[in-house]
Amino acid sequence: MTRYIIRRILQAIPLLFIISVILFVLMQNMGDPLATMGGRTITRSAERERLTRQLGLDKPIYMQYLYWLIGNDWDKFDRDGDGIEESPGIRKGILRGDFGTSLVNRGIPVTTVIGDRLPNTLILMLTAELVIILFSLGIGVYSALRQYSFMDNLITGISFIGYSMPIFFIALVSMYIFSVNFKRWGLPYLPTVGMFDPQVGKTASEVLRHLILPVFSISFISLAAYSRYIRGTMLEVLNQDYIRTAKSKGIPRRDIIFVHALKNASLPIVTIIGLDLPLLLAGAVVTERIFAWPGMGRLFLDHLTRSDTPVVMGILLLISVAVVVFQILTDITYAWLDPRITYK
Amino acid sequence: MKKTHWMFTILILLSLVLASCAQATQAPEATEPPVVETEPPAEATEPPTEATEPPAEATEPPAAERKVATFIWTQEFDTLNPLYTNMWFAAITHQLWLSYAWDFDDQGNPNPVLITEMPSQDNGGISEDGTTITLTLRDDIFWSDGTPVTADDFIFTWQMTIDPNNTVAQVSPYDLLTSVEAPDPKTVVMNFAEPFAAWAGTMWHGILPAHILRPVYEAEGTIDNAEWNRNPTVGVGPYNFAEWESGSYARFVANENFWLGKPAIDEVFFRFVPDDASQVAALKAGEGDLGTFIAYSDIPGLQDAGVNIVTVFSGYNEGWYMNLSPEKGHPALQDVRVRQALAYGFDRFTLNKDLLLGLTVPAATYWDNTPYAFPDAEPYPYDPAMANQLLDEAGWVDSNGDGTRDKDGVELVLRYGTTTREIRQDTQAVVQQQYQEIGVGVELLSYDSDIFFGGYGDGGPSATGELDISEWSDTTDYPDPNMAYWLCSEIPSDESPAGVNWQYICDEELDALFQLQNTQVDFAERQATFHQISKIVFDKVYWLGVWQDPDTFAIGPRLQNVKISGSTPFYNIYEWDLVP
Repeated sequence: MTRYIIRRILQAIPLLFIISVILFVLMQNMGDPLATMGGRTITRSAERERLTRQLGLDKPIYMQYLYWLIGNDWDKFDRDGDGIEESPGIRKGILRGDFGTSLVNRGIPVTTVIGDRLPNTLILMLTAELVIILFSLGIGVYSALRQYSFMDNLITGISFIGYSMPIFFIALVSMYIFSVNFKRWGLPYLPTVGMFDPQVGKTASEVLRHLILPVFSISFISLAAYSRYIRGTMLEVLNQDYIRTAKSKGIPRRDIIFVHALKNASLPIVTIIGLDLPLLLAGAVVTERIFAWPGMGRLFLDHLTRSDTPVVMGILLLISVAVVVFQILTDITYAWLDPRITYK
Repeated sequence: MKKTHWMFTILILLSLVLASCAQATQAPEATEPPVVETEPPAEATEPPTEATEPPAEATEPPAAERKVATFIWTQEFDTLNPLYTNMWFAAITHQLWLSYAWDFDDQGNPNPVLITEMPSQDNGGISEDGTTITLTLRDDIFWSDGTPVTADDFIFTWQMTIDPNNTVAQVSPYDLLTSVEAPDPKTVVMNFAEPFAAWAGTMWHGILPAHILRPVYEAEGTIDNAEWNRNPTVGVGPYNFAEWESGSYARFVANENFWLGKPAIDEVFFRFVPDDASQVAALKAGEGDLGTFIAYSDIPGLQDAGVNIVTVFSGYNEGWYMNLSPEKGHPALQDVRVRQALAYGFDRFTLNKDLLLGLTVPAATYWDNTPYAFPDAEPYPYDPAMANQLLDEAGWVDSNGDGTRDKDGVELVLRYGTTTREIRQDTQAVVQQQYQEIGVGVELLSYDSDIFFGGYGDGGPSATGELDISEWSDTTDYPDPNMAYWLCSEIPSDESPAGVNWQYICDEELDALFQLQNTQVDFAERQATFHQISKIVFDKVYWLGVWQDPDTFAIGPRLQNVKISGSTPFYNIYEWDLVP
């Protein structure tokens, strides 16, 4: 197993390199970072020339990538526009742990920009994932045990409705119902946006209260897909011979369902969760935007639309690494769940 | 699976605890006075001759009585250092905690803040030849750590702006200064090589605390990475910076020692809400006291919810920029009669009434709602018959019967591009339909802002001349009328890719007038020049106004005494109040 993990990590290195090259090239074609630096007016020509030079955007794309990768402290630059390259670079490059600084939040290290948002995203997304897994397990198992019953059909119907609704619609409708209208009707209401009420302060209870609507919006759609999937795999397992054997041995029904059936049914579910977990780091772009949740999804969108290559590359690389790591963890979980699986 | 669930639970609880503990911002604690710098100023400045006492420690009101106003900001600040941003949402925030040397009231009149009076030739503040401007600083202004504000801070700000080691957002117009001198700690003398008329609208929008940032510059050779840029614990204004949490909020607490009086509101809380619909919901739910850039379609609903709508002009007008490049633009646009026909054939009045709910009117000139607009200009009326007549006279007729006019084998089909903003796309659809009636074809194109506003070197569609008509909303150096879009020297090319004359217009008469106004420090003379400029632009239809584009503020029912200025909206924020 250890050799397998080491091999997978070594395989990931060239993969991440190729991914970084592709993403960097794509980012260069996403827009002009100077286009929005003029505020509400167009960036003036002299300022554009100066900033292009000072921010190193006048260099060829392969040189910009090289600086991003290995740094530019071995090279010299013309910062004052006199045609003489006399100022040494200060970047160390990502291979030496320097992800650079944001073009938008000038001077702020990319690691700080991302680090500020990551905890907020984890709070939102892990809560949502927990809700999704718990409820989908409950609903999926319940539906599988009562196949084609009224409740099964009802749950199936609601699942399809939930799955077919766009998240922005759920988010805005729930905001208007539970926040705006409930307040107008004099009912207990939920907050519309943000993480806390400024009059109260940022307490755990405030954060939890502000989590309800975003988590509901994210969960509602995913819950439908997950529960349908669990229902299907549970039905498949419940018809296996070993379940029948367990029943004939007189094992209690609860043990048969939750120990024998669910454990085996969870193997494909682990695959889905394994694929989902790294994406949690990316946040939920639409939900975070609507509920003004200060997470990674909003960060990504804000900086992508302003062509902030260092920050966008940092986020994408973080997700790429997370995908690789979680795939390895998924493989390990497979082996734990199914002793027949071995890795060489 | 049980273990997995436990792991999730622990992780969430841990995250919640960390998030709420690490940056706990209990409102009552937020009233602490700003951190007092223990570091001595690098270069001590002389105290003012008649200096008042430095500010005393603030006394905080009890938590229950605190007045906290929540402002909804649809864009987060990029930085709080005024040198590094042109972002509107960042710049106007400076008026709270980093006062401009002067601002403008709701009538557009200059209003001295850090200085005793506005310099003029009458009071000797501007020299006879217009090249020297002298500012006299107030005696009673102090940074929030108690250090006096002096001329040295102005000199340092100028030095940092023009220093090539700082990647500031804008060097102009400080690069026009040959020197800034301080004959005494309360006098700033600005020396220009040539008279510079636009100084009042463009200079000293926030100054830097030299005693905080000079040591940073001396240590690092730049202030690009200064902690103050993000965490400006020392400022000068009606409010003091308290904290800024990325993506979430920023807080400013009242400066008890503000020289014009303690602000009535104890704390201003900026909440960053990027989604327009969410902003409207929060305002309706009473979770925001002020919102900005409200879509016209949302105004009736907000007014029904008791929210006041205030519109102020900041010089912005939505309009069309015609591409007059002989090589890149459509040949028909070379003829002024065709451009006038486009004006007559577009029913901008109905568009303003229907799509913009009658809350706006078509702009006649680029300088509408400023003293510099040509007073006799009225928007071209909707007159398709006149449009047809002008097009016929220009020789553009439908010779092949395909419904579109043509001339010398060239079809009159114009490439009309703008951003993806909804109202602009709706406008495009209206134009396409109306121009069908006068035999003009329109190819509609829309782009994300960072692509649409991309420069010539980055292949921006407008900058490279790919479009015949480009639409966006823009202003001058408001309230100053100066701008560079029609200068011949600003036409972009491979040799000069940074040019901003994306209309490729080189009108020598217009160019000369723009050069002239830039040096006219006398208001009446400059106004007369601008009347000529705006008349030329109007008559020759170099620019066609689609609607006047005022800034829209939504003011919640709790906010009182609010006056908003177009260029410096928070000029009287210390007088604003909150009622329960």
